[in-house]
Amino acid sequence: MFPRASRNFISLTIRFHSYPLGRIGGLVRKTFGLLLLLFLSKASVSSYILDNWLVALLFGSLFAGRETGVYEREVIVMVLSLRGRRQIAVSAFVVTVFLIPRVCLAQTSELEAIRGIVKNLEQQLQKALERIDQLEKEKSAGSVRVGEVEKSVQSLKAAPGALNPGIGMVLDANVEHKSKTGGNFNFRSAEIGLAASVDPFARLYGFINGTREGVEVDEAAAITTSLPWNLTAKGGRFLADFGRLPKIHEHELPFVNEPLSVERMIGGETQADGVELNYLFPTPFFLRATLGGYNKIGEGNERIDNNKPRSWSRFTYLGRLNTYFDLTDNHSIEFGTSHALTPSLRVSGDAGGGSRILNGIDVTYRYQPLASVVYQGLTVGGEFFRNSERIGFDDTSKRRQSYGGYSYAELKLNKNWSTGFLFDYAPSIESPGKKTIGYSPFVTWNISEFNRLRLQFTHADDRVREEKGDGGNQVFLQWTTVIGAHTHGFLGR
Amino acid sequence: MKTKLLSGKNWKTILLTFTFLCLQTGLVFAQQIRVVASWPALADITKQIGKELVNAESLATGVEDPHGVPMKPSFVPRLNRADALVLIGLDDELSWLPALLEVASNPKILPGQPGYIDCSVGIPVAEPPVRLDRAEGDLHPKGNPHYLLDPVYTKIVAQNIAAGLSRNFPQHQAAFEKNLKAYVTELDSWIARWEKMTAPLKGVKFVEYHQEWVYFANRYGLKRVGAVELKPGIEPTPNHIVDLVQRIKQEKAQVLLYGAQNPRVPQQLANETGIKVLRLYSSSGGRPETDSYIKWIDYTVRTLVQAAS
Repeated sequence: MFPRASRNFISLTIRFHSYPLGRIGGLVRKTFGLLLLLFLSKASVSSYILDNWLVALLFGSLFAGRETGVYEREVIVMVLSLRGRRQIAVSAFVVTVFLIPRVCLAQTSELEAIRGIVKNLEQQLQKALERIDQLEKEKSAGSVRVGEVEKSVQSLKAAPGALNPGIGMVLDANVEHKSKTGGNFNFRSAEIGLAASVDPFARLYGFINGTREGVEVDEAAAITTSLPWNLTAKGGRFLADFGRLPKIHEHELPFVNEPLSVERMIGGETQADGVELNYLFPTPFFLRATLGGYNKIGEGNERIDNNKPRSWSRFTYLGRLNTYFDLTDNHSIEFGTSHALTPSLRVSGDAGGGSRILNGIDVTYRYQPLASVVYQGLTVGGEFFRNSERIGFDDTSKRRQSYGGYSYAELKLNKNWSTGFLFDYAPSIESPGKKTIGYSPFVTWNISEFNRLRLQFTHADDRVREEKGDGGNQVFLQWTTVIGAHTHGFLGR
Repeated sequence: MKTKLLSGKNWKTILLTFTFLCLQTGLVFAQQIRVVASWPALADITKQIGKELVNAESLATGVEDPHGVPMKPSFVPRLNRADALVLIGLDDELSWLPALLEVASNPKILPGQPGYIDCSVGIPVAEPPVRLDRAEGDLHPKGNPHYLLDPVYTKIVAQNIAAGLSRNFPQHQAAFEKNLKAYVTELDSWIARWEKMTAPLKGVKFVEYHQEWVYFANRYGLKRVGAVELKPGIEPTPNHIVDLVQRIKQEKAQVLLYGAQNPRVPQQLANETGIKVLRLYSSSGGRPETDSYIKWIDYTVRTLVQAAS
């Protein structure tokens, strides 16, 4: 009660002092009328308030110009502490010196004053009723607003964490046995992923991968989010948009290992340092094009040194078209064609070289019954690669041509289990006549979305004999687990 | 010998690509407002509010598992052309929508932009997570997102959609508000009817496959006995099923509700306990006769009342 009352008094005093003399009369009449009303209702209370009001008035004039909050407090203290006769004396003094003459002026018609007050109160009541009506109307809308406030409070609470990027980690570990080389606990990778928006115009993601060879930045790339004309630009180190599975991290593949054909012809994952420009065609069906330029493509492609500066003709340039059609609600097909050109390929140590062209075609058929997509499904996919290159000047007439690829089918048996088969045809790039053919049945148990066991058997008929472990019979048991935020996005689907 | 990059064949390739790029831009006609909704129920409500001004389409058809919509590239061009995106939020669409938005090249409908209309704003969320850990399952990290099953909350959803549309197209605000008023009035009369119809559902004990009936149960007084899933998104283990059979018998649960999920476990439970199994989808469009939000809730209410009586 008190703080509110004192606030009203203050505002009155301020007004009192700021109004030009001519308008003071009206104001005094109003305030006086109010007091009179209080008088009528309860004489003792109103006299008490009258006293304090006068004190407040005095204080108001003394402290005018100071911060409202401060002298409100002062006044409350005054109001609460001065209750004795001295106060009344002070009040009387104030009244005689400052107010009485003016108040008397305004006292010409008491009745008129009361009428004015009643009218005023009527108006206020009317306003209050209208306000209640309005609030009633806004009641339902109000709950929406409350929700919004709740949400913002929630996000504020999470703010220190929310500004951190999404963090996740994948562990991919194998136990394997190869008939040609023996058994091995293969700690394949522990990959830490980070991703967040940079600003309204870009986002950034990174995958830092620890393997048995050491720790390296697998990917770290910035991607624009708001370029016009359906364009997206990407820069840094990332998996170049070549083929379908070569640009998927190894632990996300439907089988244990990167197909040997991808390993030999591309160099494993299509890791590349460079830039890419994507364009989504405004067609009613999905059609997307990529143009890119890189130092080299292929994480395991050691023929080109990634670190040395080079002339522009020794970069690798890429073009890709990717399209997709729904045959029916449940059946779909996806096509891609990739074209990577290195105008002047100079394998480390060679004095000169010709061009290298690597082409790829990928086809993927998917059966995803909408009503039971969690429990059933079939994916049949394949990629075909052609490599054509000329190295050195000794043999100017001939280009080295090699052809290879893989195909696989994966059948989803229920929510947790799937099985499949991979056929792999991997030529040697150095001696194109030789090849390795692999057959790999596999079974996958998805314990949950983030926990997966996979058993794979591979029989490889190796005529290349570059590496002992490529041939013979092999058994793998792979355990992949994910914590935190982990997604390779649309391209990893 | 020097290989020239910009000579011969390469020139033609580059020129061709460039012409193609130029051809594709700038062919946009002012037509209806294109709204893409994640689920058919939201598309229906958007149509009720936008009427002839809006062309609203849903990405999911309604028969899908509530968290298992496939990430189809054919959604990408639709998202690319959308003026606004209407979604359930609360990470309901986490497994498919964000990745599609990454490639849709449409800055208008990215999270935080005016075209991103999150219908969960202002919904009093049920089952907020007490412990954020994937040991608790992975599908409801921000609380239960299946609020469309409470028709009273759907009034908030309609308001959110109207506000979202007005935010993007202030020139049509009056029309949206008028349509919103009409829709909420219609919904209110249905809500009153459902309130009466559901009187026999008070205290009915039910088992659900996936945790999605909490809003409906809270509104109409049903009592949840258990869920078939171990945790949201985690298939039951044999032990869990044994437990559930016991609980169904003990508590005398009357109905088991499932939607897009596999009927195998519900049938098994029905055989062992005699519980009545009902297939009720968690969105409109799951059945051909439930092609609008109101029809869907009405079907759900009628089926449940019939089963419980």
